[in-house]
Amino acid sequence: MEYGLRPLGREKIWLWLLLAPTLVGLIFGAFGSVLATTGLSLMEWDLLTPPTWAGLRNYVELFTNERFLRSLSNTVKFSAMYVPGVVVLSLFVAVLLNRPIRGVSLFRTCYFLPCVTSAVATALVWNLIYGKDTGVLNYLLTRLGLRPVCWLCTENALYSVVVVNIWGAIGEGMIVFLAGLTAIPREYYEAAEIDGANRVQQFFRITLPLITPSIFFQTLISTINAFQAYDYIYMLTRRAGGESTVPVVVFSIYRNAWHFSNYGGASAQAIELTVIVAALMALYFWLEKRFVVYE
Amino acid sequence: MAKRMVCLVLTIAALVLAACGPQRTPTGPVELTMMMWGDPAELTVWRQIVADFEAANPGIRVNVEVSDWDSYWTKLKTMLAGGTPPDVFAIDAPLYPDYQSRGVLLNLQPYIDAEPQVLEGLYPITLEAYKTPEGYFGLPRDFQTIVVFYNKDMFDAAGIPYPQPGWTYDDLREIAKRLTKDTNGDGIIDQYGFYADLWDMELIWSEAIWAYGGDILSPDHSRTLINSPEARQVWKLFYDMIFVDHSWPDTTTAAEYGGDPFLAGAAAMTTIGHWVVPGYAEAGFRWDVAPMPRGPAGQATSVNSAGFVIAKATKHPDEAWKFLKFVLSADGQKRLAELGFACPVLRSVAESPAFLDQPVKVNHRVFLDSLQFARMKPVFKGYEEWSAVVGDGLAPVWAGEAELDPTLDAVVAEADKVLAANR
Amino acid sequence: MGKRAQKRLLDLVTYTWLAAGAVLMVLPFLWMISTSFKPPAQQFSKSLIPDPPTLRNYIELFSYRDIHFPILFLNSTLISGLITVGQLLTCAMGAFCFAVVRFKGRDLLFTALLLTLLIPFHVTLIPQFIIFKALHLVGQRAPLWGTVPLWLPAFWGGAFGTFLLRQYFLTIPRDLVDAARVDGASLPQIFWRVYLPLAKPALAALAIFTFQGAWNDLLHPLIYMPAAPNTTLTVGLSLFQTQMAHGGKFTVLMAGAFVSILPLVLVFFFAQRQFIQGIALTGVKR
Repeated sequence: MEYGLRPLGREKIWLWLLLAPTLVGLIFGAFGSVLATTGLSLMEWDLLTPPTWAGLRNYVELFTNERFLRSLSNTVKFSAMYVPGVVVLSLFVAVLLNRPIRGVSLFRTCYFLPCVTSAVATALVWNLIYGKDTGVLNYLLTRLGLRPVCWLCTENALYSVVVVNIWGAIGEGMIVFLAGLTAIPREYYEAAEIDGANRVQQFFRITLPLITPSIFFQTLISTINAFQAYDYIYMLTRRAGGESTVPVVVFSIYRNAWHFSNYGGASAQAIELTVIVAALMALYFWLEKRFVVYE
Repeated sequence: MAKRMVCLVLTIAALVLAACGPQRTPTGPVELTMMMWGDPAELTVWRQIVADFEAANPGIRVNVEVSDWDSYWTKLKTMLAGGTPPDVFAIDAPLYPDYQSRGVLLNLQPYIDAEPQVLEGLYPITLEAYKTPEGYFGLPRDFQTIVVFYNKDMFDAAGIPYPQPGWTYDDLREIAKRLTKDTNGDGIIDQYGFYADLWDMELIWSEAIWAYGGDILSPDHSRTLINSPEARQVWKLFYDMIFVDHSWPDTTTAAEYGGDPFLAGAAAMTTIGHWVVPGYAEAGFRWDVAPMPRGPAGQATSVNSAGFVIAKATKHPDEAWKFLKFVLSADGQKRLAELGFACPVLRSVAESPAFLDQPVKVNHRVFLDSLQFARMKPVFKGYEEWSAVVGDGLAPVWAGEAELDPTLDAVVAEADKVLAANR
Repeated sequence: MGKRAQKRLLDLVTYTWLAAGAVLMVLPFLWMISTSFKPPAQQFSKSLIPDPPTLRNYIELFSYRDIHFPILFLNSTLISGLITVGQLLTCAMGAFCFAVVRFKGRDLLFTALLLTLLIPFHVTLIPQFIIFKALHLVGQRAPLWGTVPLWLPAFWGGAFGTFLLRQYFLTIPRDLVDAARVDGASLPQIFWRVYLPLAKPALAALAIFTFQGAWNDLLHPLIYMPAAPNTTLTVGLSLFQTQMAHGGKFTVLMAGAFVSILPLVLVFFFAQRQFIQGIALTGVKR
């Protein structure tokens, strides 16, 4: 692409020195994750005996494996709700918190709290909130004269879980957007004010365009997180024995790799997941070229 | 700035070096690593056992590494896959064939042949799971039988006599019905008569199927038999208790009580093993245990064990065997009994005050007496995937979202596929 | 409507939304804290106020003689700290190259880097373990070598951090670079003197994410370090989860959870001042 500083003469050495850790990591990361996983997806491996060649069998099986297809559909539905939810809500919170108000540190800490806790601990609290007979939410509903809802039954569990995951991710998005918002020079707003633009117009004309790099980042990272979401979903939807009412792909990968002695199959599922997210990423990058404003 | 950063990094690195404990000399005593799942209380007891062992065997040191259940298997499998397994590690009997059949365990038979007295005095049924045509590749350290736990306060309040030996599944259903109550009259049941987890076979359904004359698998482990006419009676009984009598909370409701309505004081009876005793001791009500009910074909319970195996790749098999022997000795077993989680496999210790007069005063003898009609929890290759297929497959039924009979047939067909793949 | 009144109204709306949201965000934690002060028999009671409140869960938590909280705590702090330093430094270096410098193969390299983010770590755990084993860095009882697989990767960059900082660097006005060039600044000088100081908010964000991720990481310390007591706080506390499965003790687990997040909350509370500083830098004039 066109942007960028051209290194002058001997500065090339500096460029490669600055880039060196990343390159080492890439060699290791590419080898350790992408290549190894691709390789293992072509093998049959139970972890204990040497792997044997399986060719494309693991991939062929994916298309007939009903449990996998169900988990894939859950993951896609989950992501379709989670990504916009996280991006919009955390941007909203960040914009509010970027105003000069009292108690900003406290508010920021409150919103970030879910990000620092382990899902194990908070998920049980959410179980108490969502409970069918004894839960707080249904208690409120019945007080309002409404019928109680079975929040974690199969028909509603996906939506309930999306809510908890968004709750757990708002803090992270908020931080990313706050960092982005602080980079917008104040002068722009002052100029707009002189032109008579109101707050809403300022938001859409200045804030939103200038924060597109952060939005791009957060959307992409949220997508990756959505496709790899696991902790809260598992903790909230597991019934006894490690089964889940909303099995997602990572759950399926985890079980195949660690419980069903099927590391090859798990790797094939991981590669399939990667291909889907990579396709989405390509789409995002295409959109980035058209809509993201860089300085 | 860059220099300061480098200094900072080096300082922190040095601190990490210092923080991670004393450097061990490469020469000196033989070091064994022993890995198991457990909790902080178990870690403490195993450290005592190891200290006793080290005192009796100078020249051997054992590093005890304890993880929680899920983490344990992940760590163990990674280490096995990487070729650096611990010398001695704990195993759950149903998972033993998955490891044994893949050749990562040391055959203990030569040692047992040299010292056959090691197995003397152990409950024979607990050994069965580890027996293979080539000999033993592991030995049990403790066992679990499933019994009925009942809330005495709830029985007393309802004026119902406690469950007596010889009671039947029909009695269980009847009592559970009478103990199911909506105490505050809001239309929602807040005291259930019974709860048992239906995902794993061990907690109620294998026992009931045996008591009704059915079985779980064909003897050659090629067919799943849980849709036989006998077994269907059992499923029907459970289904009716949950959805007709409402004396047994469905799984979604049970989850509200942390997955254990009995402990939460919301169910009057449950079926589970001795491992809950230390936790239940802190419950806010009085409770005791009774043997499993009888069915048309007699009484049955399930016995399962946790054991120890030695990695084939160990550099110190002789020392590892010494440790295994120590775990099975009266000294080792007594310490385990004090822990209060499980029943000792050594009969002399199990029937001694060390086990029977534990700090938690309930009828511990019931757990031992249940061995008379106990059957071994099925142990076969592919167990984990098979139980997932069955447990997951039937779960919608117990949540009230699927019909029993068609689901059962579909589950059995899929479970048989898993068995075929693991032959 | 006058300007003052408009601002008042805006403040009111802001506070209302923020407060309502904050209550929703915090409620589960209040529950966690309250449960940690309840007697075990009341672990599922529906009241927010423990009755009577008790310290026994904390006493029990700290009473296990084979779990030394100071050691766990120190290990967690040092390892997370080292990882954070490594990430900040190397990700910033990489991000600077990707965002500012023009060189051949830049976009290709960047895409390859992002691809490494996409594979769920459950399947990369074992290949990674095998590579570290081949490098003789696994199962070393010698302290420093034992933890190398945990923090060394932090010193070779990372897709997430590089991406985050690259996005931020891209928003820094390019005139600053040109001005520095005119003054004769070299590439590393522009990095140190122009980009790093301006990127404080983003670096603070990355520091928080990295520290928190390293602190809560269960699997890697689990696999590369010996188990309790010589491990991290997160791994040590996971032992109590088994206990929870044994029944009872949920109250103890909550006490443990509270103990484990407290340092993170404090780190966040102080690190986020960087944002305020960031705002001050760009100048709040309202």
